Amino acid sequence: MGAQDQLQIAVRREADRVILALDGELDMATAEQLQHATDGLEGQAMVVLDLEQLQFIDSTGLRSVLSVLERCRDRGQEFAVTRGSQQVQRLLGVTGVAKHLRIIDAADEVLA
Amino acid sequence: MSDPMLPTQDVAVELLVEAGAVLASSLDLSTTMRQVARLTVPRLADLCVIDLRDDDGSIREVAVAAADPRIAGPLEALRREHPLDPAGEHPVARVIRCGEAELLAQMSSSLMHSFAQGSEHARFMIEHRYHSAVVAPLLARGRTLGALSVLRLGESESYELDDLELVCELARRAAMAIDNARLYSQLRKVEQRLEAVLVNVAEAITLTDDRGRMVFANQAAAELLGASTPTELTSASPGSIMPRFLVLDEHGRELDLESMPARRLFAGESVEPLLVRNIVRATGEERWLIVRSSPVVDPESERILYAVNVFENITEVKRAQLAESFMAEASRVLASSMDYAETLTQIAQLAVPQIADWCAVDVLGEDGEIERVAVHHTDPTRIELAERIDRGYHLDRDDPLGVPEVIRSGRARIYNDIPPEALAAYARDDAHLAMLQAIGATAVIIVPLAAPSRTLGAITLVSSESLRRLSHGDLALAERLGRRAGTAVESARLYTERSRIATMLEAALLPESLPQIPGAELASLYRAAGELNDVGGDFYDVLPYGEGRWLLVIGDVCGKGPRAAAVTALARHTLRTAAMLELTPTAMLETLHRSLRNQPAGSDLCTVCLATLELVGAGARLMVTLAGHPPPLIIDADGEAAQVGTPGTLLGVLDPIEIGEVEVELERGQTLLMYTDGLPEADRTGMQLGEQHLFEPSVQRSDPTLVGLLTQVERAALRRANGRLRDDIAMLAVCMD
Repeated sequence: MGAQDQLQIAVRREADRVILALDGELDMATAEQLQHATDGLEGQAMVVLDLEQLQFIDSTGLRSVLSVLERCRDRGQEFAVTRGSQQVQRLLGVTGVAKHLRIIDAADEVLA
Repeated sequence: MSDPMLPTQDVAVELLVEAGAVLASSLDLSTTMRQVARLTVPRLADLCVIDLRDDDGSIREVAVAAADPRIAGPLEALRREHPLDPAGEHPVARVIRCGEAELLAQMSSSLMHSFAQGSEHARFMIEHRYHSAVVAPLLARGRTLGALSVLRLGESESYELDDLELVCELARRAAMAIDNARLYSQLRKVEQRLEAVLVNVAEAITLTDDRGRMVFANQAAAELLGASTPTELTSASPGSIMPRFLVLDEHGRELDLESMPARRLFAGESVEPLLVRNIVRATGEERWLIVRSSPVVDPESERILYAVNVFENITEVKRAQLAESFMAEASRVLASSMDYAETLTQIAQLAVPQIADWCAVDVLGEDGEIERVAVHHTDPTRIELAERIDRGYHLDRDDPLGVPEVIRSGRARIYNDIPPEALAAYARDDAHLAMLQAIGATAVIIVPLAAPSRTLGAITLVSSESLRRLSHGDLALAERLGRRAGTAVESARLYTERSRIATMLEAALLPESLPQIPGAELASLYRAAGELNDVGGDFYDVLPYGEGRWLLVIGDVCGKGPRAAAVTALARHTLRTAAMLELTPTAMLETLHRSLRNQPAGSDLCTVCLATLELVGAGARLMVTLAGHPPPLIIDADGEAAQVGTPGTLLGVLDPIEIGEVEVELERGQTLLMYTDGLPEADRTGMQLGEQHLFEPSVQRSDPTLVGLLTQVERAALRRANGRLRDDIAMLAVCMD
């Protein structure tokens, strides 16, 4: 497995939100990393997945994004993602998931 | 003083002969000089003094001989108290300065006063009636080392020119002796320093001459070469040391004396350091040595006088390095194939000759019998011998010793002494014994082929012709090998078993055959990703769907393994039932969504594409329904492709779902290609060129059949994935004839 199989997650806390910036590939090999990274984010009003640097996502990766969405809903937290690469956008579009997500242009975008 | 002088000529000859003997007899400087001085008294002189010039230019008296015993002692004391001034007028100082001899035939008291070192000295000379003297320089290699003075006292004869020559000759000889003695003592000092260094260094060092004689060896060399003292080595006859050892190169080839660096040096070759494996014949002990030889060249003749040989013992380092590279190579071999019989054969080949001369691998078969799967020796005829033994005297699993015992106990064994009677007791009959003797084992290691939970067999390593003793390091390495190989064999077995189960499961998840649709051709292709084809989540199906209608299904359940397989089965059967009930495609997908939502874990997601096909004339009417699945393509006969369908929501996670339905005609010659995401995502770029490029229309279809098209698309995907798919690919296609 080379470097392209890896995922780096940078967690950044801002005033009203925690931003998880994903860099690399979110697939069967890395999906669990995202689950771990979102443990213990209960206190935040909003969780943002920054997908700008995410090069690839597959259905397992998608499932892990959706499970973050579900956890946020259960906790009453806002959840948003940034647009991501063409491949990410394609998968979010084809699977109809895009319609269920709040998609923002930038991770620190001020929400109304 | 009063002794009559012998005729000059005879005295001269006699003196020089005796001086020659004295000068050759000892190399200790002060002893020699005293002997020379004594030779002259009384035959040539009543008093003889030898002075030497020190390195700092001062003059030091080294020998005094006198016929009158009352003279020598006081003179020495006087000289110590009043050393001669090198710049003064004393004849000795003058001779040393200018290197010319002086004859003082008659010394008047005024002359003596003129060069005396103080009044006490003058009084001494006058009191002892100094009369006549010759002072000759001690000349050697162009340097004046000192002066030899002979004196006559009282009534003795005066010296003449003949005497001058004789004294000069004597002085020349003495000077040579002094020079040699100095050189010798300098050499001794250098040698002592060198020896102190050589004796104490950890490396074994020897000095050999052109006849192969060892002229020097240090203690480390003695220990390395199996001698109790360095002297034992230096007194051994040439060539008698090497036969004590088996000397091999890095690749196990035997080396002779002529290939040793020292011999090659004397043969005029330039030599590189040589790495040798050295085995002590007497004990079987193995060492790895680096032998470096450098020449000691005579500066005059430029001939090589000696070879300095340094033996660096790198056994520990080399063993660790070999063990690591061996294990790395073994791991590579073990990981390279899932065919364990082949793999174990390669392991046996790897172990020879690095660890042992023989290597055999036995495994426990399904029936509990011991089966020989590999045996290796560098000599094929020897392998045949081992095979003959195995055929004729097959290992019995209840044998009390050897491989069966190791397999039963799971414990490694090492035997470094194999007494003939033990071998005889082990042999089943005389023929067996003869063959075992022919193997010639001097040491044996048997280690279990150990999987985590059980012993699968055993690896046997035998040392024979190399005479090598097998160490506990070898045992540890062999045990590592046994564990590593055992794990590999176990996983190969599990893999075989798992692929069988996976194939069975996959068969249950995919239709055995596709139904016939009149006027249409159907084809499907399923390609599992990777070698460890865990059961994937792709599925497809073609089902009758009322009169003259069919339902084409393709879907993808997220994940792999048993859970995905269960969800796949659920999806497939839900859709089958729904098709039987002739639900609308949207209703079918909603049903599936609800059943997925009712699953306990709740996060199983699934994407599905449904296409209903109704025959209309020579073509068909399609309704394409998508639930989170990539849209299918319609491909024209000329290769032009277009996506059909509008995206819908994937099933099982999100509520509410949106399902998009699109109606489209499939004309004669057109193909509908449905596929799972593994196809566009093969290269992980997400098909930025657009999915219609999936099958590369620019490439001529070499195979006009529908299966041919699917194969071509699959090959293109494999190329894009560089041969390594990370997700399964499923394709289902229908073409109107």
